[in-house]
Amino acid sequence: MSEVPRNAAYLVAAYIVVPVILLAYALSLYRRSTRP
Amino acid sequence: MSLAQKGRRVALAGLLLLGGVYVRALAFTPVERFQGPAQKIFYLHVPAAVTTELAVILVGLAGVFFLFLKDPRLDRFAEASAEVGTVFAAIVLTTGPIWGKPIWGTWWTWDARLTSTLFLFFLLISYHVLRGAVTDAGLRARYGAVLGICAVVLVGFIHLSVYLFPTLHPQPIVLRPGKPGVPPEMLVTLLMSFGVFLVLYVGFVMQRYAIALRRDASAHV
Repeated sequence: MSEVPRNAAYLVAAYIVVPVILLAYALSLYRRSTRP
Repeated sequence: MSLAQKGRRVALAGLLLLGGVYVRALAFTPVERFQGPAQKIFYLHVPAAVTTELAVILVGLAGVFFLFLKDPRLDRFAEASAEVGTVFAAIVLTTGPIWGKPIWGTWWTWDARLTSTLFLFFLLISYHVLRGAVTDAGLRARYGAVLGICAVVLVGFIHLSVYLFPTLHPQPIVLRPGKPGVPPEMLVTLLMSFGVFLVLYVGFVMQRYAIALRRDASAHV
């Protein structure tokens, strides 16, 4: 039986990148909507 | 409570629910035997891709209706949906190569699915650039509607590209005729994530619509 590949670093990278993009966009919307 | 505040609450709920998807994906969903842990990028990449396609289809539909009805609410919605679609497309184009590297052995390949998705991202960017360059509100809305309709055609091509061309990218396993091609526990996680991306889409569009509404209101003063 073949061994399961060890590539968790890629998983961690993707799971960090996604909330970073979403939070950056949420912050951008907040700043634009509260701008006087 | 204003529309922007409501949108912020919905988006915040979406971000919190995304944490729940992470727990479900990492702790309660099995590791795929051949791809290993990297396969779990699937639970972010695919829902982001489907939500991008949905966002662009709604931009095109709003564009078609705008050309007939000339209702500025349709144009504001299209503008908001296109911007949120651009953000989700950025997620697709970021998570895709991170998943591709360990599985395909390369970050990127110029095959039909990947290249057409990149084109869609550029088309969405050009949509925003076009809107920013046209000062007349009526013309801006009309040009935006036409470009939005063009983007929908590209979405159709992206979806069919894995059938029409030889490609490294796998064929659809959920949005296809017949039963989904994933085990139930993986499908539940995928559908949960898709639900969360929809919540995020709604929350972001509400906020972006409120920004466009305020701009249009100040333009009429």
